[in-house]
Amino acid sequence: MTLTAFPPPPPGADHDDLRQEVRAFLAEELADFSPEKRAKSWNGYSRDFSRKLAQRGWVGMTFPKEYGGHARSALERYVVSEELLAAGAPVISHWIADRQSAPLILAKGTEEQKRRIVPRIAAGELCFCIGMSEPDSGSDLAATRTVATEVEGGFQINGTKVWTTYAHVADYMILFCRTGKSEDRHGGMSQFLVDLKATENIQISPIIDMCGEHHFNQVIFDDTFLPSDALLGEKGGGWSQVMSELAFERSGPERFLSSFALIEELFRLLREDATEAQQAEIGRLSAHLMVLRQMSRSVAGMLNEGKNPALQAAIVKDLGALYEQDIPRLARSLVSRPAVPGGRDSYAAVLAYTELAVPSFSLRGGTREILRGIIARGLGLR
Amino acid sequence: MESMIFDMAERLFRDHVSHGLREDAAAGQCPEALWTRIEEAGLHMALVPEEAGGFGVPAAEALGLVRIAGAHGLPLPLAETLIANAVLARAGLALPGGRLTIAEGEVLQLERRGGAVHASGQLTLVPFARWADRIVTIAALDGADHVLSLPVKDLTVTLAQDLAGMPRDDVAVDLDLTEANAAALPGSMGGMRGLGALVRSLATAGAMETILKMSVEYANDRVQFGRSIGKFQAIQQYLATMAGETAASRTAAEMAANSYDTAAFALTVAAAKSRAGEAAETVGALAHQVHGAIGYTQEHALHHFTKRIWSWRDEFGTELDWTRELGRAALSGPRDTFWHFITDSTAQGTPT
Repeated sequence: MTLTAFPPPPPGADHDDLRQEVRAFLAEELADFSPEKRAKSWNGYSRDFSRKLAQRGWVGMTFPKEYGGHARSALERYVVSEELLAAGAPVISHWIADRQSAPLILAKGTEEQKRRIVPRIAAGELCFCIGMSEPDSGSDLAATRTVATEVEGGFQINGTKVWTTYAHVADYMILFCRTGKSEDRHGGMSQFLVDLKATENIQISPIIDMCGEHHFNQVIFDDTFLPSDALLGEKGGGWSQVMSELAFERSGPERFLSSFALIEELFRLLREDATEAQQAEIGRLSAHLMVLRQMSRSVAGMLNEGKNPALQAAIVKDLGALYEQDIPRLARSLVSRPAVPGGRDSYAAVLAYTELAVPSFSLRGGTREILRGIIARGLGLR
Repeated sequence: MESMIFDMAERLFRDHVSHGLREDAAAGQCPEALWTRIEEAGLHMALVPEEAGGFGVPAAEALGLVRIAGAHGLPLPLAETLIANAVLARAGLALPGGRLTIAEGEVLQLERRGGAVHASGQLTLVPFARWADRIVTIAALDGADHVLSLPVKDLTVTLAQDLAGMPRDDVAVDLDLTEANAAALPGSMGGMRGLGALVRSLATAGAMETILKMSVEYANDRVQFGRSIGKFQAIQQYLATMAGETAASRTAAEMAANSYDTAAFALTVAAAKSRAGEAAETVGALAHQVHGAIGYTQEHALHHFTKRIWSWRDEFGTELDWTRELGRAALSGPRDTFWHFITDSTAQGTPT
């Protein structure tokens, strides 16, 4: 049963020298970051930070050198990624591009696209967003309605995308839309590389989330013209291209470290004096995290070998979301201190932020129900 | 080499470990003929070094046999014999052959009497003691870990059993041991609790893989309301949850197996045993829910596996024992952040 087998990451995966370098860099860069600010890590946006990180060679680590990358392994990239998240660094500006957009462009893009885009991603200069969900197409990606019609010199796009994270600041969107009619639900889909700064007739408006924050957007394409060289990969090949991105999107440390700032707060409070029951719960948190991390690093190892561990990635994401969503409950069972949004007490402030953040963890990047359906089919259910 | 041992074991267990054999074993009958085949194949020696008669495969691969044995519900002390032989070999004691078992020896009193070591005390819930020739245990003498090889014929065995009907006997120890049966244990294997927890974690992962496979097959075959029950989303969600718990348990157990005999073992085995024990609850409960009433019968094979994973979580440290140990190490250790504890705990070759 290969689905439950996660081969250990290759020997030397710890890359301790690299880890210490990253820690030293972060200690300096994030010296004045409050715990509450660290709790927002993955949603933290700083072009400046991403550029500095890139100057150290820690963006685009796995890309070939000829495209501005550093030809390092997925495991080395993993070390940097998890150290960034554990420290609560603001990473969203480069994260999506580095994680999945550049690998997609490198795998499916034209030589011209690779040379034009990838070096700028590796330099930490480009922010990407993903145009997948629509008002009537959430979990059901095949219900996508946005359509690209071939016109002279390119394509005309019409449709609406929603929940597009950081579209309001992004330079590019990888747009998933329909390019043809097909009997097959998965056929007739394509991906486009949309230059959001240079393209006319795109209207981006905020969708404020329940925390009162602006990460999401609605993006309306209204007779938007894209030149033919905006097509990314094969026309009609969009479905399988999207599916091959998912292992990158679903297996990383951002899938179980989202509540990590709260764990550190809890650790700090219990460090001096913990009852046996509190010790046991911290031990349980440790055991789960050690195992999740091993599974996630195993997927990184498989990606490094050019495999497509999409099913294992779905398992990591499902287990990871359960873990990070359970942290506020656990914290409340161990420490009796009310949550206070923006409170001066850092535990109270981080608890408040995390409590409101956790519902999204099993929605984004594939809902729990969708992931479990994928896993169940992978088990051989007919 | 790995696949050779694995294939051999897989074939042997597939051909010879039947529902009937497990039933007979639970009724008290030791499957002697099967043990002879295991010994003929040399599987019981897989974890000892080549110069002591092993195959010379890496420890993690040899330990993989325990997962396969767990996947077949093998009612014999193969895991115990593997560990016992490895510990005896490390201490430079003779490998006696035959079925061996292991016990946590911290409860024993040891004292030097003339040229011998006198051991006394009560070992409880010793796996397969009545079917074993010797109990191998680790206990402190003069402040250092010592391996003891106790001949079962010289001990008093009181019969008891686990949830799955497997022998878990109480054993009264009161005997003198010569140098041939007691020696210092060099290196970093730790006590018998950790080694026992390692093999139980691996066996649990194997048994869960079988439970999952049986549940998927049942969901495909069983028709209600005009379709396979596996078509219902509720059932699919259960099976996916079982797959996640099984995968986590196997990863955890293999992580511990990979750090066998290194400094990282103490923490990885704590994670493995507690994670697998927790998963046993969920996987067992959901497997029975998927199988419905037929899975609750003696006739159906499912119970042999669910009872085993529920029993194994109580042996060689419960979830509570191991999570407390991990939590103490995290909270009282030298590291200022939880993150540093986590990265150090699984670091390859880093002292804990």
